[in-house]
Amino acid sequence: MAGSQPRKTQRDGFLPIRTNGFDRGFISVVILILVHLLWMRFLEGLLPLWVATVLCLALAVFIIRKG
Amino acid sequence: MRQSNIGWLFLAPATLILFVIGFIPFIYILYVGFFDWNTNAVDPTLRWAGLQNYRSLVFDTTFLNSLTRTLVFAFFVVVSELLLGYVLARALMADRLWGRQFFRTIHTLPIVVAPIAVGATWRLLCVPGFGIVPYYLKLWFGIDYNIATNSYHAFATAIVMDLWHWTPFVTLSLMAGLTALPKEPLEQAQIDGGNKLQIFWYVIVPMLKPVLLTTVFIRLMDALRSVDEIWMLTKGGPAEATRFIGLHIWINVFPKTDYGYGAAMSLLTLYVTIVLSWLLFVAMTGRKGGAQ
Repeated sequence: MAGSQPRKTQRDGFLPIRTNGFDRGFISVVILILVHLLWMRFLEGLLPLWVATVLCLALAVFIIRKG
Repeated sequence: MRQSNIGWLFLAPATLILFVIGFIPFIYILYVGFFDWNTNAVDPTLRWAGLQNYRSLVFDTTFLNSLTRTLVFAFFVVVSELLLGYVLARALMADRLWGRQFFRTIHTLPIVVAPIAVGATWRLLCVPGFGIVPYYLKLWFGIDYNIATNSYHAFATAIVMDLWHWTPFVTLSLMAGLTALPKEPLEQAQIDGGNKLQIFWYVIVPMLKPVLLTTVFIRLMDALRSVDEIWMLTKGGPAEATRFIGLHIWINVFPKTDYGYGAAMSLLTLYVTIVLSWLLFVAMTGRKGGAQ
């Protein structure tokens, strides 16, 4: 199925690889989980976890639109 | 449009089965991962824990060490199997090799042995005072080999055992891939004056990429969830030298019945596996994402 996808769904954004919508969503989720885990390990004593969530959601919107 | 609908109809049974055996358990594990649930505890009911399991997980040095150890094991195993598998595939495809059908059969036999039997066999081979491996290592090299007390020996034995069990699978895959390669590009490269290394790197490897990618994925995922062989060989010891992540999860989920924490560990392991596979895919295809 993937091979039959039209080329125009892929694009070159600021990410170092050519991506489609699914890729950008996937990258955003991977980053979101990683940041939350690292935040819980190193930063949660200083800043609450929802700060990480807000930052990651903002980053996700940026990646999905410009990545 | 009509053709596409018929296609979906044909896919429906497989999709339904995948949904029932794949997606629903995944959602259930995701759900359990947010709860504190230990059937042997004073309160055996599900209690909402939020992110507490994950919070505990990132501070759990035993878990993090297990994860690191598993990644090291997977790296050694996959790289060695790929190199060894390629060499063996080329050797077993050589026209000059006398009795190559016989050697192919012998070489392929370990694949059909059950992992639990492989672990038991290697334990018998390696147990000090009884197995032939410690006996000959002492006789020939003066090494006091003991998988019950020496962490390095146990870890190395786990790697060798996995190599023995799964290299034939890599060999078979690569033999299939090499047999299917077209002859023209190889002849062209020879005419152009390419040496063996250049032909291997610039002609064979790019053409073998789909086979290599599939083989590496299968072996990587298998290596990351080794349990039964290791359990039979060392039971995760000595100390925690061979306690790989699958074994660690099993110990937490079954003897300790800590289901919530076990679910969180499983999900984090799944996350690591998916991310590694994706990175590998991007690196090996040189592209460019998941939907090429």
